Amino acid sequence: MIWYGIIVCGLITFLIRFIPMSGIISRELSPSTKNSFKYIPLAVLTPIIVNDLSIVENNSLFFIENYKLHAGLISIIVALITNNILATISIGMASYLFMSNLINI
Amino acid sequence: MKKIEVFKQGILEELPLQIGVFPFGIIYGIMAVESGLTPIQAFLMSSIIFGGASQIAFVQLISSATPLGVIVTTVSAINSRHFLYSISMMEYLKNLSLKWRIVLSYLLTDEAYAVSIRRFINYPSTSFLHFHLLGTGITLFLSWQISTLIGVLLGGDLPQFLDLQFIIPLTFIAIIVPMIKSISTFFVVIASAFSSLILKSLDINFWIVISGMIGVVIGLTSSKLDKKR
Repeated sequence: MIWYGIIVCGLITFLIRFIPMSGIISRELSPSTKNSFKYIPLAVLTPIIVNDLSIVENNSLFFIENYKLHAGLISIIVALITNNILATISIGMASYLFMSNLINI
Repeated sequence: MKKIEVFKQGILEELPLQIGVFPFGIIYGIMAVESGLTPIQAFLMSSIIFGGASQIAFVQLISSATPLGVIVTTVSAINSRHFLYSISMMEYLKNLSLKWRIVLSYLLTDEAYAVSIRRFINYPSTSFLHFHLLGTGITLFLSWQISTLIGVLLGGDLPQFLDLQFIIPLTFIAIIVPMIKSISTFFVVIASAFSSLILKSLDINFWIVISGMIGVVIGLTSSKLDKKR
């Protein structure tokens, strides 16, 4: 099942990169189609972040004492200020570990 | 300019970007093993898919028992931007043989594209331009494979209390925040975030895909408003 997923995803990813270069598509894409490609990564990655921050637990919203959400918000601020991947990940992770392991003692 | 010189230039111009790519590859390797993939699956995914953010999304979705259809759709959506890269490269590479176009398509990732397209635009008359993309692509490929391998080897030995799964949303935050450069991109994030909260609370299948589609529609609508300003 996992192998099947990896191979199918690999094949589709290759085709996405190859089809325009293969010359199959000769027609120019419309501006709105080009624009939508710009938005897709943002639109797909955001729900994954929301899910991983555990805001929805057992079909209800969970904000208070949600250390993942708090650390996520801290990392958003760090990303806005520094624009640096490593700083965002390390400060976000450090604040999460601090809140979940030390505050909870 | 000789082929080898153009190739070397591609490598040299790509090297500084590895400061960001290498830790990302290690994180992916660790996550993949932590999420239950075998070391072989985790390592080979880096050469079969060869796309950082989409691989991390794959691993995250596998660990939360997401249906395969959703995983494939999500990975394809994340990598769909490469379609545009390929379109813009086509102008410079259309006279190459099919064999070359296959190899260069495989190597066409964010970082290789970002470096090579600048070269293509600024020096379009350089001979053997495709060797530049070959240089940037191979540099990134090797760096991604080595860093993945390091992550895979580290993966199983890390203590549980670290809860390393949490690196995944942090990585995505680090990727998407710099992409929010306009009102429309901001609206995309807000719309897909809120719709995913609502759809997931309602236990609706394919909530990632549906909220992604809502985000894109809102983005397109607000970009039209942007232009009117």
